[in-house]
Amino acid sequence: MYIFVPERLTELVKVIHDAVRGRVRYKVQGLYHSLPLRYRIEMLLPQDPEVREVSASALTGNVLVIFDPECNPRKIGSQIEQIAVSYLQESRNGDGSEQSLAAMPEIRAARPRKGEQRLAVIETGDSTPWYLMESKFVLVSLNSSKKRGLSAEAAQANLKKYGPNIIPESASRAKWDIFIDQFKSLPVALLGAAAGLSVMTGGLSDALVILAVVGINAVIGFVTENDAEKTIKSLKTLIRPYAHVRREGTLREIPADQVLVGDILVLKPGAYVTADARLIESNRLTVDESVLTGESMPVTKISTPLKEAKIPLGDRVNMVYSGTLVTGGQGLAIVVASGRSSEMGKIQSLLAEAEAPETPIERQLTTIGNQLVWISSAICGVVFFIGLLRGNGVIQMLKTAISLAVAAVPEGLPAVATTTLALGIKNMRRHKVLIRNLHAICTLGSVQTICFDKTGTVTYNKMSVLMFYSGMRRIDVRNEGFFSGETLFNPFDSDELLKLMHVCVLCNETQIDTKQRQYVLSGSATENALVQVAITAGVDVQALREQNPLLHTDYRSDNRQFMRTVHVTGNPGRLVALKGSPVDVLARCTFQIKNGQKTLLTDEEKDLIEAENDSMAGDALRVLGVAYATASGDESLDVDEGLTWLGLVGMADPIREGVKESVAMLHRAGLETVMITGDQGPTAYAVGRELGLNNGNPLEILDSTHLSVTDPAVMKALSKQVHVFSRVSPSHKLQIVQSLQSTGRVVAMTGDGINDGPALKAADVGIAMGQGGTDVAREVADVVLEEDDLETLIIAISDGRTIYNNIRKTLHYLLATNFSEIQVMFVAGALGLGYPLNTMQLLWINLVSDIFPGLALALEPAEPDVIDQPPRDPMEPIVKTEDFKRITFEAATMTAASLTAYGYGLMKYGMGPAAGTMAFHSLTTSQILHALSCRSEKRTIFDSEKSAPNKYLTAAVVGSLGMQLATLLVPGLRTLLGTTRVALTDALVIGATSVLPLLVTEATKTGVVGPK
Amino acid sequence: MKRDYIHTSESVTEGHPDKLCDQISDAIIDRFLEHDVHARVTAECAVSLSVVFIAARFASGIKVDFPNVARKVIQRIGYVEHEFNFRTCSILTSLKEMVPDQHGFPDDDEVSEEDINRLVAYDQVTLFGFACNESPTLMPLPIWLAHKLTRRLSEVRLQNVLPYLAPDGTTQVGVEYKDRIPQRIHSITINSSQNDRAYPKPERLREDILENVVRSVFQDEPVAPDKNTEIFVNPGGPLKLGGPSVHSGLTGRKNAIDTYGGYARNSGAALSGKDPFRIDRVGAYAARYAAKNIVAAGLADRCEVQISYSIGLAGPVSVQVETMGTGKISDDAISALVEKHFDFRLGGIVKQFNLRKLPSLSKGGFYRKLAAYGHFGRTDMELPWEATDKADLLRSL
Repeated sequence: MYIFVPERLTELVKVIHDAVRGRVRYKVQGLYHSLPLRYRIEMLLPQDPEVREVSASALTGNVLVIFDPECNPRKIGSQIEQIAVSYLQESRNGDGSEQSLAAMPEIRAARPRKGEQRLAVIETGDSTPWYLMESKFVLVSLNSSKKRGLSAEAAQANLKKYGPNIIPESASRAKWDIFIDQFKSLPVALLGAAAGLSVMTGGLSDALVILAVVGINAVIGFVTENDAEKTIKSLKTLIRPYAHVRREGTLREIPADQVLVGDILVLKPGAYVTADARLIESNRLTVDESVLTGESMPVTKISTPLKEAKIPLGDRVNMVYSGTLVTGGQGLAIVVASGRSSEMGKIQSLLAEAEAPETPIERQLTTIGNQLVWISSAICGVVFFIGLLRGNGVIQMLKTAISLAVAAVPEGLPAVATTTLALGIKNMRRHKVLIRNLHAICTLGSVQTICFDKTGTVTYNKMSVLMFYSGMRRIDVRNEGFFSGETLFNPFDSDELLKLMHVCVLCNETQIDTKQRQYVLSGSATENALVQVAITAGVDVQALREQNPLLHTDYRSDNRQFMRTVHVTGNPGRLVALKGSPVDVLARCTFQIKNGQKTLLTDEEKDLIEAENDSMAGDALRVLGVAYATASGDESLDVDEGLTWLGLVGMADPIREGVKESVAMLHRAGLETVMITGDQGPTAYAVGRELGLNNGNPLEILDSTHLSVTDPAVMKALSKQVHVFSRVSPSHKLQIVQSLQSTGRVVAMTGDGINDGPALKAADVGIAMGQGGTDVAREVADVVLEEDDLETLIIAISDGRTIYNNIRKTLHYLLATNFSEIQVMFVAGALGLGYPLNTMQLLWINLVSDIFPGLALALEPAEPDVIDQPPRDPMEPIVKTEDFKRITFEAATMTAASLTAYGYGLMKYGMGPAAGTMAFHSLTTSQILHALSCRSEKRTIFDSEKSAPNKYLTAAVVGSLGMQLATLLVPGLRTLLGTTRVALTDALVIGATSVLPLLVTEATKTGVVGPK
Repeated sequence: MKRDYIHTSESVTEGHPDKLCDQISDAIIDRFLEHDVHARVTAECAVSLSVVFIAARFASGIKVDFPNVARKVIQRIGYVEHEFNFRTCSILTSLKEMVPDQHGFPDDDEVSEEDINRLVAYDQVTLFGFACNESPTLMPLPIWLAHKLTRRLSEVRLQNVLPYLAPDGTTQVGVEYKDRIPQRIHSITINSSQNDRAYPKPERLREDILENVVRSVFQDEPVAPDKNTEIFVNPGGPLKLGGPSVHSGLTGRKNAIDTYGGYARNSGAALSGKDPFRIDRVGAYAARYAAKNIVAAGLADRCEVQISYSIGLAGPVSVQVETMGTGKISDDAISALVEKHFDFRLGGIVKQFNLRKLPSLSKGGFYRKLAAYGHFGRTDMELPWEATDKADLLRSL
């Protein structure tokens, strides 16, 4: 920002209006367009007890001060001057406007005095450094309050001042633009040139036909692309977020667009931040800001002011920004910028048009298309010069060369990809697979490793308690009854079991409500199960919670594998309740309750408990250890030792039906499967074995709670092997995905939880569960499985591969046929046999053979063994060198056949239209028939097992053949194309030379299946 | 054979990465056998940087939390606050379940002769057992002293006498023999690792080690260092931390240390990580049992028993005794005695030593403890193959 530094300081502050006592308006040099100076004045000046209100404006450069009438206005003026001088000096030393704010520790001292409503008005939510200010000041500045939020009047005022929270949608590509774009291509330019040449040389009808071809091409291009555009647009329909705000003293859920500046946002895990806001309260709040910063690890937020002014967005840890996601903890924040003023809004207004990004495959196709243009241009040039040397006219050769170029350029290439991908999206939607990212389709087909987040993906995420190990004996829970061995057991007879359940209910975040005398539990699956079993046992869970109010909670963290809560009890005052990893909890216990007596916990007993834990975990149960301690109110409650052991709880989360089969299917498809779970080793082993993740090999499990300290190179090496990652904390999922990627694999990740977000995003394909999953997971994922069914994933992978293969097939077809045209013209010209095809014929071939069979090939059904193939190498180009060789060979076959027909014509009729007609019919028909060969690289038309029918291709081939037949029969068309009548013997020759290339190409396929 | 020579033997502390692996492997054996005497298990372990790799094949009705077993071993050894520690290390397990192949070998007290004869070896191996009159436990003096030194080196760390020591350490003792009798200590080398490279200074460390380790170890030893004995303490300079973060380890790489310190022959097969049905492990115990009893009976001053097994046979293919000219009767006569009085069949060894029950009978594991400081000549454990209960029998003949 430009800072004006005046020569003489005395001119810095001028009084421009002082008619009212105690109210002066000053003109401050340098204030104009300097927001930092404005805030500095507004914050520092009120520190003077005589100053009542300050309002500075960077728009006018004026400051209005209301102060004690007894005070001298000049004194105030000199204060402003001091502030301005220090600011301008600082900013001269620094390089930017915000720099100066860094040197403002006093800001935090500048608080509005009690009972005073400040008038300081801050008009826009622009680059105000809210993160430097005390939250109280922010609240007052925006006329809000932490407890009550905006009042009705303040809401009205703020709505008027800042507007609603709307970011204008970027205009979608207009239909007209799509249509116009069809003409903005090299082939069309060439065609235009050809038409111009025709007009100049008097061939008006030629010119009209060329223009018609252009028109037809454009219409077809428009129709397909418009359709694709619509499908792609529909991907962007986001979940309409709602926001919880405090307004007029109540908590409300309102649509995101009604959130106002000054609103108090209530942030909870899974919630979207709907506007930029300054935190005024934060309890372990973590936010995923990758949308803005690209940093995929969630950021922990605080509510205290920051000191450093010049810091990037990602480091403003007391701010939350629109579009980001709360991944953990909770907090309150006051909205400071909304709509267009928010950071997200600024970014969006930068992008004038939000187009779907070009997918890698489209990029590849464009590159190939451009290469072809240059190759064919070169060949056409050669054809042109050879023609000249052979004594043909310049104009005629120019026309021939240009039309050859037009015919040779595969104009529809990128459009084919877009269209095919869009159709793929529709097709997958039918299979209940939502694609949210265009590129995900083809990536799906190349996925090499798939990571499953166990809970929710592999399992239903519905827990139930099956077993306790309390008082050194096993108690089973079945059919809502408690059993010790085979005998029914009353939990109220066992002090230790009852205590265990009490602790499980207390050390628990599940919300317990009653609706129509039924308990309604809302919490995590695990914690719900613990409350549920207590309810089943007959424990009055609500009364229990009321009698033991919660004082403090320590959540399970990477370093402490258990959760601890502190409660108030009657005697001796405090209850410390623990639940978590059995091994970790047990290690902290010295006593246990057995038969109602508190006894010392011996090492032998610990061993027995551990063995029991192993055994329960080995049965794929999730096992928690439970312990407690009592303390008097004034003792330190940070007890981590000498606890009293209560027992183990074993819970089951049933594996989803069909997952095992899906895993086997994925292995068949050449994918590696990896499971990520927070469970301990034996549970992970049991589930991994049950699912057959190891695919017959030894099951490799990596057990680590500290993946982050593992050397990345080691992680990379390990991740090549591992089938199961156990005891993984949510934050490490991302690391696992990244280390798998670092081995060069294409990685998909499935997940459903909030904490899966970063990993889903980092994965090459993030796959979210549609029903059980959270919004967060669905939002960041590339693919959503609507039915939570992994079987549909296999369909999606198969579809992805098919789509990629089909694009290749189309490409193969277009290249082979276009090459053959070039070869025919080139060879004949070089041999001095004249030019078999005229401009009209070339255009016709282009129209008849390229468009419809090409598009139809893109709609080929999946080849039956597509899922049995290993995933393709992601680095492999779409057309490999050997493909080019094969394509050239196939083109040569067609060329040879049609030149044979041409030669026959030459011998029979001599050089002229009659011979050309032979070549034209032969080449066109063999090209159309070639589409049949392009259906598969390996299968042939001779195979006993036929490929699945493709009705589009049948229609396209029949239709194109029909059109070709029409050129034989319809006199008008004959005139237009310059063909002659075809005799029966000629027709036989044409027929033979049309079918032969197909037979040759089919017979020379490598063919893996069936007889050749 | 030369009569005057110097023999050196090396030992490592329980914190040495190779030994750490041995102990993890054997702790897994313990864990299985504690709750299932019929368990079959082979466990190999490797450790490097902060990764522990465990490959196990097993057949058992019980489930074992492999990582937890490993972490407890690591914690017990004292890797608690280090770069490599029990909490933060990653443990990769490669697990394969087997179909039990030793069907129906009954509990030890129900084992019949027929059962024993039916239980055949599944390894072909030649094993050696040795004993000599050089130390109270009839172990060669160099390894006996080396173990004593490492054990003391660990003790002073765990008892906070020298709290600055880290768990990893090695010792070596060179004993000078004259006419095959230990005359003096030629040299002693002690390599210890410390938590802080700068503390203590080498001079202080040397003094501390001499005072607290060497002196205390040789207090009751007839052959002690003299003024010409060379004593090296960390000759390569201070070693920071040591352990897996510095050098990696592997199960079964300390065979000489596990046996006789290179003084006698030892089989190439490792001892740790194998359940008692592995003849290449328990056969070595049986061979030592025989050798020790022969020396204890006074039939020889030194004795090596060599047993060869072949796959598919319950008993050994050959049993040979070599007394190196110290025998009171001929080696052949001793061999005959040994064959007569000692049961070398796999089932017999398992039964007489009670090898499957020992883990559940001893507190804190049996095989894990065995895995550090030698499988033979232990004074801290009641090892059945260290008993000289057959000496009287042999003597009376």
